[in-house]
Amino acid sequence: MISSVNPTIKAISILVPGIFLSFTFDVFTPLIYLLFVLAITFTLTNISISKWIKIFSPFVLVALGFAWMAALYSNQTYSYGEVHFQLWHFEITTGSIQTGISLALRSLCFVALSLLFALTTDSTKLMLSLMQQCKLPPKITYGILAGYRFLPIFKHELHVLRQAHRIRGVSRTRGIKGQINQFRRYSIPLLANGIRKAERVAIAMESKGFTGDKERTHYHDLTVSKKDWYFLTMIVGTFIAVVAISYYLGYLNIFGRKF
Amino acid sequence: MRKVQPKQNPLLKVDQFSFAYENINKPLFKELNFCLYENEVTLLLGASGSGKSSLALCLNGLYPDTVEGVTSGQIYYEGKNISDYPKGEVNQQIGIVFQDPESQFCMITVEDELAFTLENRKVPTSRMSELITEVLHLVGMENFRTRKIHELSGGQKQKVALAAVLLLEPKLLILDEPTANLDPYSTLEFIKLIERLQKKRHFSILVIEHQSNDWTELINRVLVIGQDGTIKVDDTSDNFFQKYQQLLSNEGIFQPHDVMDIYRCQDYGTASPSEKGWILTIEHLRYTRKEQAILNNINLKIRYGEFIALIGENGAGKSTLLQLMAGLLLPDEGEVLFKGQSLICWKENELRKQMGYVFQNPEHQFITDTVYDELTFAMKLNNISKTDMKEIASTLMTQFHLEKHQYDNPFSLSGGQKRRLSVATMLDETPDILLFDEPTFGQDAKTTQELMKMIWKLKQNGTTIIFVTHDMDIVDLTDRAMVLHNQEVIYEGVPETLWQQEELLKKTRLRPPSWIRKNVESGVFL
Repeated sequence: MISSVNPTIKAISILVPGIFLSFTFDVFTPLIYLLFVLAITFTLTNISISKWIKIFSPFVLVALGFAWMAALYSNQTYSYGEVHFQLWHFEITTGSIQTGISLALRSLCFVALSLLFALTTDSTKLMLSLMQQCKLPPKITYGILAGYRFLPIFKHELHVLRQAHRIRGVSRTRGIKGQINQFRRYSIPLLANGIRKAERVAIAMESKGFTGDKERTHYHDLTVSKKDWYFLTMIVGTFIAVVAISYYLGYLNIFGRKF
Repeated sequence: MRKVQPKQNPLLKVDQFSFAYENINKPLFKELNFCLYENEVTLLLGASGSGKSSLALCLNGLYPDTVEGVTSGQIYYEGKNISDYPKGEVNQQIGIVFQDPESQFCMITVEDELAFTLENRKVPTSRMSELITEVLHLVGMENFRTRKIHELSGGQKQKVALAAVLLLEPKLLILDEPTANLDPYSTLEFIKLIERLQKKRHFSILVIEHQSNDWTELINRVLVIGQDGTIKVDDTSDNFFQKYQQLLSNEGIFQPHDVMDIYRCQDYGTASPSEKGWILTIEHLRYTRKEQAILNNINLKIRYGEFIALIGENGAGKSTLLQLMAGLLLPDEGEVLFKGQSLICWKENELRKQMGYVFQNPEHQFITDTVYDELTFAMKLNNISKTDMKEIASTLMTQFHLEKHQYDNPFSLSGGQKRRLSVATMLDETPDILLFDEPTFGQDAKTTQELMKMIWKLKQNGTTIIFVTHDMDIVDLTDRAMVLHNQEVIYEGVPETLWQQEELLKKTRLRPPSWIRKNVESGVFL
């Protein structure tokens, strides 16, 4: 299962095809790779399909938007082929349609890859892995981990502040000046409380013997095993294979240059 | 008090120790001399703002390093100056459980938080799981191992905090008001737990508390820090509280069992609620959060001039109900009527003039830069003339002893002053109803007494008062108590009758007030 792959290796596996995909301007390469990512998302993880669709579907709209814009404004390199139709003085050609669709598929590939990572990775384990594999200093790691706990607290504080202002009758202040004042009134106590709480957490951490020392034992010992390398090979290997197939079939297009 | 064997070498020796945040000439506490011994439980008393918490952090070497503070004098742990220990070592010998359950964790799950302590101690990975199981068993939290900390109740969080500290295997345990945020029953449970652990492990304990009632049986020795920052008393005698009664009351410190006299300010008498009818009614109210019912089918009627206590265990929805009463939250079903008119139909500014609300954390009340602005804020919005404004503000400042702080920033005031100011901001026009969310939380005897005096005065003038509180001694003084449990009001009536319903008290994690407990202890039954 992908959720048990070492988070650092997983991040690298996802970044590599992500970066190289951005150079392919044909339809075939990203399409095949997208199908591959979808296939592993639904076979090797236990993400529920409905949850995945919920998060993924808004991006489909964004991708369609990208495609439409790219088709309209594609520059000379990409606007080859015959003109299909004309909109005002924009000419839609075979080339520009292809570039548009390719852009949309690439964006969807990024989204699918990111979801594959985000939905199978525990945030705590990611930080611990960055500390254990990438030698991120414990001070930063545990600082960020403590920060995770702060988000809901901050939300609650803001809610209380809003209420307090209503009690004092502040909702009546209007206009830009009032708005600025209101922002100032919210931000200062919010920051003051944030700093005070952060200080308390820091003291509590130190009182439990935390010194920022890099030598520490690990409860979740995150190691890199064979399985993690298999995963890396599978994700990156498939990408190379897809590019190769695309080259043999004559579809591959890098920055508008056909091979 | 519990007796211990004759004194050996001190575990911790404090020698001529002073601490100041900025200027050493204005120390928070000065030239302290005292010792803590092995297997001894010491209670540290002092009014709020006397620097008890800062002292705790000095004792385990976190201060003055982590703040901009200056010290003089020495602290010795097992005969060696604490500044001579390598970083992190004293922290492990002296563990602290802090007051605020929200801000003493850095991990998300219980298990990870406990592992954090073990990792700091460089305990081998293979032993961790076993140690975590053991300590969770010790504090009775076995079933919470993989739970998320922020989903736990206050009492459960404090037990996790205690478990994390126990994993350090400390020789001295400092408890900094560990029960201040807990409901009465959880408080008792926590203290019993400490008592059991101390008997088993024989560590020394330093307890910092405002209200020492429940700790008395456990304590061997009492230290008192006075308002001038010096040690006033260091005594192990049995009749400590009788012996120093006068001194303690001068210092504004709660004493066991006499809390009632502090709250009940006889000179104001008791005004009975008028028969004018209902000031606030709630009909078939239902409130849900994230599809989970918080309150269900609530029906309440509150008279003009009544003094009401809203009680229940941590998380029962008391504060939520108070916010619904104030129109800060809107119910999913049902209605809240204020003076016979639905809250939705009230004009916001009219409503706020007649209804006041005091937050649990006084700082939430403040929205300006000076005490004077704070007091006149609402008047400015209501276009009251400058001269009237000045007059009202100065009356309020005299009444609440804030004259000297007219131009101070509200955030720079002491705890007690903040509390007084937060109430004062609601009184520029006498409101008809005042809602208080745990107003006595974390306050010392003197502040509480002052607050209660104000309450009686307001009540005499006919203001309706609603308190959300965990303090059963306050509940005992109200006209009517309302108990929330499982989303509903399960008891509504005079407190005297409530105290007789043992089953109900147990179920709702409440306890009778201290005078009844005292009678029961000494064999007098109701």
